[in-house]
Amino acid sequence: MIRLSKLHDKSYKWLLLIPLALLIFSFIYLGVFYSNNGDFMKKDISLTGGTSVTVYWQTDIIDLENKLVNQLEDLNIREISDLRTREQKAIIVETTTDSETTKEVLESYFGFELVEGENSNFEFTGSILSTSFYKQLLIAILIAFLFMAIVIFIIFRNLIPSIAVIISAFADILMTLVLINILGIKVSTAGIVAFLMLIGYSVDTDILLTTRVLKRKEGSLNERIFRSFKTGTTMTLTSLLAMLIAFLVVKSFSAVLAQIFIVLVIGLAFDLLNTWITNVSILKWYMKSRGKE
Amino acid sequence: MKTKLTWKLWILIIALILSLLAIFGMPPSFAQKGVKISSIDQNSSLYNQGMRQEQILTSINGQNIPDLESYTIFISEKFPLNQSEKIIFTTHEGEYIIFTNQTPELIVEAIPKTRIKLGLDLSGGSRALVKAENKTLSGKEIADLISVTSNRLNEFGLTDLKVLPVSDLSGEHFMLIEIAGTTPKDLKKLISEQGKFEAKIGDDVVFIGGDKDIASVGRDAQNARIEGCNPAEQGYVCRFSFAITLSADSAKRHAELTNNLSINATAQGNYLSKKLDLYLDEKLVDSLFISEDLQGRVTTQISISGSGSGANQEEAYESAKEEMKKLQTILITGSLPFKLEIVKLDTISPILGDDFMNSILFAGLAALLVVAIIIFIRYRSIKPSAALLITVISEVVIILGIASLIDWNIDLPSIAGILATIGTGIDQQIIILDESREKAIMSLKQKLKRAFSIILGAYFTAVVALIPLLWAGAGLLKGFAITTIIGISAGVLITRPAFADMVKQFEGKNAS
Repeated sequence: MIRLSKLHDKSYKWLLLIPLALLIFSFIYLGVFYSNNGDFMKKDISLTGGTSVTVYWQTDIIDLENKLVNQLEDLNIREISDLRTREQKAIIVETTTDSETTKEVLESYFGFELVEGENSNFEFTGSILSTSFYKQLLIAILIAFLFMAIVIFIIFRNLIPSIAVIISAFADILMTLVLINILGIKVSTAGIVAFLMLIGYSVDTDILLTTRVLKRKEGSLNERIFRSFKTGTTMTLTSLLAMLIAFLVVKSFSAVLAQIFIVLVIGLAFDLLNTWITNVSILKWYMKSRGKE
Repeated sequence: MKTKLTWKLWILIIALILSLLAIFGMPPSFAQKGVKISSIDQNSSLYNQGMRQEQILTSINGQNIPDLESYTIFISEKFPLNQSEKIIFTTHEGEYIIFTNQTPELIVEAIPKTRIKLGLDLSGGSRALVKAENKTLSGKEIADLISVTSNRLNEFGLTDLKVLPVSDLSGEHFMLIEIAGTTPKDLKKLISEQGKFEAKIGDDVVFIGGDKDIASVGRDAQNARIEGCNPAEQGYVCRFSFAITLSADSAKRHAELTNNLSINATAQGNYLSKKLDLYLDEKLVDSLFISEDLQGRVTTQISISGSGSGANQEEAYESAKEEMKKLQTILITGSLPFKLEIVKLDTISPILGDDFMNSILFAGLAALLVVAIIIFIRYRSIKPSAALLITVISEVVIILGIASLIDWNIDLPSIAGILATIGTGIDQQIIILDESREKAIMSLKQKLKRAFSIILGAYFTAVVALIPLLWAGAGLLKGFAITTIIGISAGVLITRPAFADMVKQFEGKNAS
C-alpha cells in the first residue's frame, strides 16, 4: 500500500501522458474522419432520413441482400431472432430509398402484399426532418454538457478541480465517439441519447473523487484518492457489467437498445481511464502545488 | 438493536403502495370481470346513448360477460338475427338498450392487467409527424390544422387517437398524430391530403366542402349506398352515391349558375348542357349530369357520386366504400388551409411486442443479478445486496406507478430511461454504503449526510443534462428524459433516504 502510494507519487504526472496521447490521437482521427466523411460520425437512417421496414417472415438475408442491393440505395439488412432458440423472427431492411419504392421492391421479392402494421412495420423519416433532428440532438448534447459544467462549477467553486472533471467527461465522450467510428458503427438517434447518458454517468465518479479529495480532511491525500478509487471502480464496474449483460441479451432483438448499451459500455470503460488517471492526476497535481496533502 | 421501521422507510412503503395502486387500480384490474370497449362507431345508437371507449362491459341481456372469450361466443351465437330484438348492454356506467338484428358495431378487448400503457413502438399502431409544405406554421394555424385533422380522423371512424402540436428546438411546429391499434389503410392520404373539395359548373364553383356550404351529409343506408358493380377494362368498377343537403347560400348559387344553361336531350333523359364537376385536390373525381327539372331551382338536395375499382368485384366494392367514406369525411370537415408534408411516418405491428417486453425483462433481471453478485463479493455480506435489490426494484415500481398516474406511455426511449435510472441508482447506493464505512471520527448520521452531498451533486448534473431533450427532435425522445427525471427524483427523495436507513440498521449493528 505504501509502496503503491510512493510509486503513484512519482509517476502520476507521467501517467497523464496516456490520456493525453489518446486525446491527441482522437483529435487527429476525428479531423481526418471529418475531412473524409464531412461529419463526425457515420449516421444510420434515423439521422439521415430513409425507410426501415421490418418484415415478419423468414428468409435468407444474404440472398435478400444480393437481390436488393442494386434496387435500394444504401441498403442495410439485419435480422431479429429469438433469444433462446436463435430462430429468425423478422428481417429489418434499412435504406435511404423512399417508403413507396421500398415497399414495391420488397413485395416483388417476397411475393406477397406487405400490410403496414400487420405483417410488417414501416418507419419512414424524411431527410429534412432527420437532418434537423441530428442538428438538434447535437445542440442538446452541447447544452447538456454546458449545464453539467455550470453545475460542477457551482458545486466545487474551484476552477482547476472543476476543469479536471469537465476534461475527463469530455475525454470520455470524445474517445467513445472515436472507438465507435473505428468499429464502423452507424450512430442512430438512440446512440446520441446514449452519449447524453454518458455525460451523467461519467461525472458521477468524478464528483465522488473531487468531493472526497477537496472537501474531506481525514486521511492523507493518497488515502482519500485510494478510497474513492475503491468506491468509484465498484460503481463503474457494476454499471459496466450490467450494461454488457443487457447488451448481449437485447443484441439480437432491439438495435435501438443494443446501441445505447454498447455506447455506454465503451464510455464507461474509458471513464475508468479518465477518472482514475486523467482526473486523479490533475487533481493531485493541483493539491500538491497548493501544499495540501 | 431490532429492525425498526423509521419514517423514511414508511415513506418508501407508502410510495410503493400508492404506486401499486396506480399500476393495478382499485379494485385491481386483474381481478375485474368484463371486457373493455376499445372502439365504438360514432354513428351507432349505442354511442348516441352514451356508450364510450374505455367503458367496461359486464353483461349483455343479463348474461354475464366475464372475459373476451365469452363475449365472442355470445356474439357469434346471437347474431345475425332474423328480426330486430331488444339487446341490453350493461357497463359500469349504466345500461344501453338497442333494437337490432345486426352485430353491434363494437370492438372489445380483454381488460388490461395493469394500467401501464405501452408506447406505439411496443404495442403497435401508427405515428405521423406532419408539417406544412414550405411554410412555418404559427401556433394558431397549428391549432386549426389539429382541429380539422382530428375531426377528419374521427369522422373516418378512428377513435383511439391523439393529435397534438409539437415543436422543436429550432421553433418549427409540427402536428403529431398517434393512432393505436391497426393502421388504417390509406392513412398517408388521409392525413396528408389537403382535401380541397370543389363542385363546379364550368369554371364556377357551386359549393365546397365544410359546414358553410354543406348543411348535412347522408351516411345511413337510405342516403348512401353502393349502386352497382360492372366489369371494366381491368377488373371491376363499383359506383357509389350519397345525398347531401346544401346550405341556403350554395343552393341559391346552384340556381343562378344553372339558370342560363341549355338543355341536351339524350336517350336516358333531358340534361343540362354543362355537368356538375366534382374535384378533390384539383383532380376530377366525377362528373354528374344535371337533370332538366333542377334548372334554376333553389334546390338543397344533391346527390354526390363516384366510383372505386379493384381486381375483382369484392375489391372494387370495398374500394368504392372507402372512397365514399373519404369523400363524405372531406365534405363534412372541409379542406385544410395549406398543403401538408409527412416528415415521419411509422407503422408498427404488435406482433413482437410481447416477445420484446420479455426480452427486456430478462435483460433487466440478468443485469440486476450480476450487480447483486458484485455487491455481495465486494461487501461479503448478503444484507447490502438485498437492500440494494429492494431499493432498485422499488424505484422501478415507483417510476411505473407515476407513469400510470400521469398516463405516460412507456415507449422504447422510456425503457432506456428506466435503465439509466437503475444504473445511477446503483451507483449512488454504492456511494452511501462506502461513505457509511468511512473511517472518519463522526457519527453514522453525519457520514450519510456527506454521502448525500455527493449524490445531490450527481443528481443536479443529471437533471440539467436531460432538460434539452424535452424539446430536441420534436420531443420524440421525451420519454427518455421524463422517465429518467421521475426515476432519479424519486431516488433522491424517497428510495435513497430509505436505503440510507436500511444501511444505518445493519451498519449500526456492525459498529456496536
